[in-house]
Amino acid sequence: MPSPLVNPLREGITNRLTPEPCTLVIFGATGDLTHRKLIPALYNLAAEGALPPALTIIGFARREKTSEQFRKELEESTRKFSRTPLNDELWAQFASSIIYHQSPFDQGEGYTTLATQMDAADQNRGTGSNRLYYLAVAPDQFPVILSHLRESGLSTTTPGSWARVIVEKPFGKDLKSAQHLNTLVSEVFPECDTYRIDHYLGKETAQNIMVMRFANSIFESLWDSNHISHVQITAVEPLGVEGRAGYYDTSGAMRDMIQNHLLQLLTLTAMEPPTSLSADAIRDEKVKVLRSLRPLRGDDVFKHVVRAQYTAGLIDGQPVPGYREAEGVPKDSTTETFVALQVNIDNWRWAGVPFFIRTAKRMPKGGTEIAITFKSVPPVLFNSSGEGLDENVLVIRIQPDEGISLRMSAKMPGSSLRIEPVKMDFHYGTSFGKATPEAYERLLLDAMSGDATLFARRDEVEEAWAFVDGIEEAWKTRCDDLAFHTAGSWGPAQAADLAARHGVTWRRM
Amino acid sequence: MSFIPGIPVPIGGIEKALGKLWEESGESKTRASLINLAIYNEKPGSLERNTEITRSIAGEHAMRAILIEADLKAEGSSAEAWITMHCYLRGSKGGSVCSEQICFQLAGMAAHSLQSVVFSHLDSDLPLVLWWQADFHLPVNAKLWRWVDRLLFDSRHWKNPKEQFGLIRQIAGLAEARTVLCDLNWARSLPARQALAAIFDIPGNLSELQLLRRLEIDYAHGSRTTALLLLGWLADRLGWSLSNPSANPEFRDAHGNIVCVELKEAEGSSISRMKLASENAEFHLLRESGSDLYVTTAQGRNIAASSRMVCAPREETREILLAELSRGGRHPLYTKAVNAVEELWA
Repeated sequence: MPSPLVNPLREGITNRLTPEPCTLVIFGATGDLTHRKLIPALYNLAAEGALPPALTIIGFARREKTSEQFRKELEESTRKFSRTPLNDELWAQFASSIIYHQSPFDQGEGYTTLATQMDAADQNRGTGSNRLYYLAVAPDQFPVILSHLRESGLSTTTPGSWARVIVEKPFGKDLKSAQHLNTLVSEVFPECDTYRIDHYLGKETAQNIMVMRFANSIFESLWDSNHISHVQITAVEPLGVEGRAGYYDTSGAMRDMIQNHLLQLLTLTAMEPPTSLSADAIRDEKVKVLRSLRPLRGDDVFKHVVRAQYTAGLIDGQPVPGYREAEGVPKDSTTETFVALQVNIDNWRWAGVPFFIRTAKRMPKGGTEIAITFKSVPPVLFNSSGEGLDENVLVIRIQPDEGISLRMSAKMPGSSLRIEPVKMDFHYGTSFGKATPEAYERLLLDAMSGDATLFARRDEVEEAWAFVDGIEEAWKTRCDDLAFHTAGSWGPAQAADLAARHGVTWRRM
Repeated sequence: MSFIPGIPVPIGGIEKALGKLWEESGESKTRASLINLAIYNEKPGSLERNTEITRSIAGEHAMRAILIEADLKAEGSSAEAWITMHCYLRGSKGGSVCSEQICFQLAGMAAHSLQSVVFSHLDSDLPLVLWWQADFHLPVNAKLWRWVDRLLFDSRHWKNPKEQFGLIRQIAGLAEARTVLCDLNWARSLPARQALAAIFDIPGNLSELQLLRRLEIDYAHGSRTTALLLLGWLADRLGWSLSNPSANPEFRDAHGNIVCVELKEAEGSSISRMKLASENAEFHLLRESGSDLYVTTAQGRNIAASSRMVCAPREETREILLAELSRGGRHPLYTKAVNAVEELWA
């Protein structure tokens, strides 16, 4: 006989934790993120029946508008951005759970009325006093929102209920600010109820890194310095700053991409097998990788890191302006739009294996991938000619065209012995034709279910900042190392030199 | 036969002919395969119907399709084969992704030799999903079933469910059996089960679940087995035991209370309406004719009234098959559901 506290009808229906009834409050509800990502993701979840029953969504923002207007705007944007077509009947039902709450973030009264609305939802819709707060606002708004949530009692819970907060990146701009931010959050929400979102972790292919490594026996046995020559992690795009100049110029590629997304991919690639699949077991191993990163400070930074900025050039045959010519960017900006760095992980598994990380804007094409290059075979037999055989390369493509490929050597047909590289290629889109869920769908559902596996823990964020801070500090001491490259090129010569010092060339994407 | 299921090939030359087909198709086509999907049918014309199905799912589930039309009663022995590809444009580069298909028409002795004639043409190392569109026969062929990773069938079409479920049990119970049983009828009931489960995710509703006294299920003509599977699932989940196996049966709950069940044929989808009632509350599940949605409502004393919509895929074979192929995994509750209403299958 099943326990009366557990819904016995749930068993066998899904193999994931069931999200619990709750009220989701989105701060910054009129912003781009809400319209492009959050509401379309929630709608798709609703269509699949994956949302908890009685979910109430309250959009909290400063602009004057009615709930009706808000829902109408959301309908338009969801129609545009949803991965599945909008079903009018279903939308009407879903939208009935959305309420707009107009208030400045810094006025206590707005939170008092928010509490009243949430209590009403508990009474009328059975949301069980569970609260999920989504801070879809700039980080400078975090303190005021968090302090009001605490002062108004909205972060405290009654027995059997929970209050969680989802924090969007950037989590600070350096270690100090990240620690400050984390302290602010932790004064209001315990770490176990804090969900720091990094949407890269919600991508299917990022999740598949662990599956590939630990659900296949052939890879993990080769996954170390005995067999791997080097690793390249790349995330590049042809886009420029596109309206984000204000944020981007104070951030740069290092803070915008490497501190979070690319170091997260690095940890998934380099981590040891976790003791279990629990959130903390996995995050424990990821943190160990960050702690094992050899710090880059002072002169080492200029030996191991290349920063650059794009100048005017051509993308897809069309002229594009240089970074300093973009609207909102100072003419003398030294913000990097390209970073290439070589890092070492000083642990037993990875000693001596260089990891190359590269991110850039205005590249000839876009894509994110992890390329693991294996060591060459010994210089005997087929590799004795001195020309050298191509190494085996395992590529995990995160986006686009998600998939995995393996390069290996094969004999060309014919009477003479000629060996050429061939590629075994697995494409998600080819084998699994159906559209994969958006990262935000998975992440929102996980937060409602209390599964923090795909969210960054405080120590992960801070360790990543500690590593990046060393580089940023060195950069402040001089700026003559800033290189320039033409938009539409693959980066400056210094980046090629950095790789060449290890006998490596950057991969063509 | 007016329908031509592809290029005719000698059975011994299928692989070679497939290779040639790929060579001639140029580099714009990519072969993809996740599974071997074999579909077995004993009715004339099945190759055409099943080709329609494989063509419609190949874009979402790459496979090597093997269609078999068997005439067990024919005299002598004959075997014919055809090959073809189902291709779909994929991505902006203009390339297409293709699934291979091999069709077999077998008669007499050849139709009794599936392992040797057909299963020698599997794509090695990929799982074998066998969709059995005929009745299961005695004696159970252990050698055949041990090849199969997933066995698909549809209990809705069975004229004698009691006998067929018995044979399914025998297949599942074979020594070293690893076959996963996948009743498409069970998959058909999934949206209703999901919608029902969601009602009781609300804590206030959950406490009523153990207090149910009445259950009503409206099912479409020919879908009584779907309704019985749903009933069996509820009975198993809630610890009910069958006390009166009649057309409208009665169960006893774990405390010995009677739960009355009314099964009624009605217009609409396979499961168009359900009502679950306790002394204090009523829970409804409704699917309007032609609708893609289940609407659930809850109302009663001491519970918050609520209403919800859940997408319910169209009940076409293609949709159900795709859902089943995408879902994967075992169905541990299926056998329990079947057993819970065993006396009602006659």
